[in-house]
Formats: sequence, C-alpha cells, structure tokens
Amino acid sequence: MLVNAELYVRDLPGQLVGSIEPISMVDGNIVSVMHDRETMMNKRILVKVTFEVKDNSQIEKLKAIWKSRDIIICKMGSVYSTLSMDYMLLGSFTAAYVDSLIDVASRLANVESVDVSYSSQDKNSGKRTAMITLEVREREDLEKVDAFFAESCKRDSLIYIRGI
Amino acid sequence: MKRILISGFGTVGQGFCEVLSLRKDWLMERYGEVPVVVAAMDSKTVAKCPEGLDPLALVERKQTSRKVGEETYSDSLEVLGSVDFDILVEVSPTDIKTGGVGLKNIEYALSHGKDVITVNKGPLALEFNKLMTLAKDNGCRIRFEGSVGGAMPIINLCHENLAAEKIRSVRGIFNGTCNFILSKMDNGQPFEQALKEAQQLGYAETDPTNDVEGYDTAAKVAILANAVFHRDVKFSDVKITGITGITPEAIAQAASRNMVIRLIGEISETKLEVSPRLIPRDHPLGISGTLNIALIEADLAGPITIKGRGAGRIETASAIFSDLVAILDGRAEKLC
Repeated sequence: MLVNAELYVRDLPGQLVGSIEPISMVDGNIVSVMHDRETMMNKRILVKVTFEVKDNSQIEKLKAIWKSRDIIICKMGSVYSTLSMDYMLLGSFTAAYVDSLIDVASRLANVESVDVSYSSQDKNSGKRTAMITLEVREREDLEKVDAFFAESCKRDSLIYIRGI
Repeated sequence: MKRILISGFGTVGQGFCEVLSLRKDWLMERYGEVPVVVAAMDSKTVAKCPEGLDPLALVERKQTSRKVGEETYSDSLEVLGSVDFDILVEVSPTDIKTGGVGLKNIEYALSHGKDVITVNKGPLALEFNKLMTLAKDNGCRIRFEGSVGGAMPIINLCHENLAAEKIRSVRGIFNGTCNFILSKMDNGQPFEQALKEAQQLGYAETDPTNDVEGYDTAAKVAILANAVFHRDVKFSDVKITGITGITPEAIAQAASRNMVIRLIGEISETKLEVSPRLIPRDHPLGISGTLNIALIEADLAGPITIKGRGAGRIETASAIFSDLVAILDGRAEKLC
C-alpha cells in the first residue's frame, strides 16, 4: 500500500530525520520526502512523505511512534494502483440484468469503480450492447470477474467480449 | 541429391514449385546441388519421374489441364509407396475434423523415415504429439512453419531464436479473413456485406465457416500450444467464439471508446482460447486488413511483435522453403 502523509515537526536540527526514521523502524519503504520550510504552523515546518507499507498494522505502529516524538500528523491517505478492464455483452438483456451481474461481480472481487454504457435496442432483433469498464485492485480480481461474466453470458446465450 | 514428393497441388503446392525454380541458383550456390521434385500429386492424378520433374512445367500443366499428372490414383499411400523420396511436402487441403489424407500421408512418410514439411493444419491440430513422437522414433524431421501465420516466422522464431526464453504467452491475429471483415465493419459495413466483399476478393471461401467461426484460428492455437508451449492439447481443447455475432452496434460502441474488435488467439500455460476481444486502436493487435500479427511475451526478451502476410501463394511457399532450407542445413526441429 502506498501512503501519503503530511507531518508538522518542530523547526529544530534533527527533527526531519526524526520524522522519517520511524518509517524504516516499522519496515516501511520511503519513496519520497519533501521538506517545506515555507509552510509553517505554530513554529513547526511541513514534511510531506510518501512511503510503502504492507498493511494497516504498520501504519498504526508508525502513528504511535510519531505521536511519542511530538510529530503532528496533519493528513494521511493511502493510494492504490488499480487495473482497468473493458467488457462487452451482446444480445437480448435489460439494464437490470447488467446491474445484477455487476452486483455479483462486486461481491466476488474488490471492484473500485464501474462504468456502463448501452447501445439502443435493435428494433428487429431486440439485441443491444452493453459496455462495462471495471477498475479492480488485483489481477486475481480480473480473473474472477472474467470467469463470472463468461459463465453468465454462456448460460444466458449472450456474446461476451473482453479487453486485452 | 534430395528428392521431394509434393502431396497437394493447389495454390500452395504450385507456389512452392515456383519458389523452388526462383531460388534454383541460390540452392546450387549454397548446397552444390538442387533438390528435385520426383513426384507431385493432386487429389486425383500424379506425375512421377525418378530423375526429377520440371517444377514450372508441373504448374503450367495444372493450370492448363487442371491435372498435375496423366496417371490417376485412388490411394495416396500407394503412390507414396511407389516413389523413392526423401522429403514429403504435404500441402493437401486441411481437414480439421479427421486430418484427412494429409494425416495419413504424414504418418506414412514419418514411419518410413522421411522428413516432412507441411502447412496442413488438420493433422497438426489433431495429432501433434503423435506425429512428433513418430518423427523422433524414426530419426526424421517434421517442420511446419507455414501452418501458422503463413510467411510470418513465428514457430521457427520461438524454436530457434528464442530457444532459451521462457515464452509466457502468445496472442495474435492468425486469420486474415476475419481481420479483413472486422476492419471493414470498423468503417460501418455490416457483417454479411463485409463477408461478401472478402469472398469477392478471394480472401474468404465460398463456405466461410472455418474462418468466421474461429476454427481456423483454433487449429493454429492448438499447434502453437503444442509446438511452443510443449503442451499436450488437441483442437477440441480450444475454447472458441467466432465473429458471426458481432453487430455494427458493438463495433460502434467499441469505437466510441477508441477501441476495435479483433479475433484473437491466445495461448499460455493456462489459456487456450479464440475469441473476439476489445483492442485499443493504438495497441499492436489493433491492426486492420488481412495481415497476421503475433505478440510474444518472453521472460528475458520481453514483448516481441511480428507481423506478416498470413496467406497467399508465394508467401506460404516462402515458409515451406524456409523449412526446406532448415532440413537441408540439417537443423533439427527442437520440440522438447
């Protein structure tokens, strides 16, 4: 997990090192550090740090160390990299059907975002097209969603096309 | 002097004779002799001469009389048994259900210690490992570069240049007819109209089932899975979806996201699939027209893309000729 944090440290020698050293102490990996002397608050200066940790337990330990060193945590947020995949369904179906598929897919995998668009229904054949774009956290999530969509489309006689 | 028997004298067989004639001087310079065609057979007739036939005269006779020889036959194995030859060039029509006469001819040649060059997908897609074992057991070689991607050198590239690589996946467009149809659909033509145009231009057969239902691509996928990934699969193991259900609305919706739909064959340790896929326009696999393309993912070299003409008289003959050169050079097929 990639984490961005904004810290306020006392404007004294050794405080910068004192703020980033705990990241290594909890086995985190420091990606970048920015020391902003122009942004001051109550005689404290701003330190922006980006680091990688495996899970929340490391963050909790880190927060405790920073607190014990009189370092103020102003902002902290995690950033996830996501994988995007496009899917297309062709055949006779309703929007409710697609919604139900997406609901199940969201329970099977860690889906971050969904975007769906439809073509208008062909008057003669009654067929339409749905284009679904999903963002997920892990490659395994893509495999789960792909397997579920493929199986559902086969069962319901729809043509299933996925991205590359 | 190497003696060649050509089984199948349609477009590809004739193209091979033309290339053999075109590269006569090159062969003489490289090997000090030119291989001779001692027999050529089409579906009903055969021409034989132990001293060698004129390749261009064979082509001319076939084109004027629709027969390659004067002598008729009913059993191709009897013909093979009556001719002394070293290399069988098997280019008879593909039969994806049974392997047809091509499978019998190849089995006969290998079991009699003869080298084989083929572009016939049926026998390879159905009985790949059996044929490789037969070749190994009888100390002969079987090469089949032209069976996948025509002139695009994918099999020999993987076996020879990428021999030390672990190939992670191969994804590609292996059927020019489908790609032509889908490219035309990109411009707004409905499927039926695009197919008709492909037939008029000679890209699609009168019965286009093998192409548009994905069977032709699936045969190639099975061959690559066996030859490159050393898997033990048959044609029936490939998960196949064709392009007949692709609608203009689907094409338009893909285009609205800057994507195209292409029929992709995919092979890896776990995948064996032919299906239409959504491809970004700027992706290497988003090509238009009749070309074939393959994207090879290798562990050391990374992604490698090759593109070329997947069919055609001289193009496919060029792949057969490259296999002939490999056999004359004494390069063994490296399959294990």
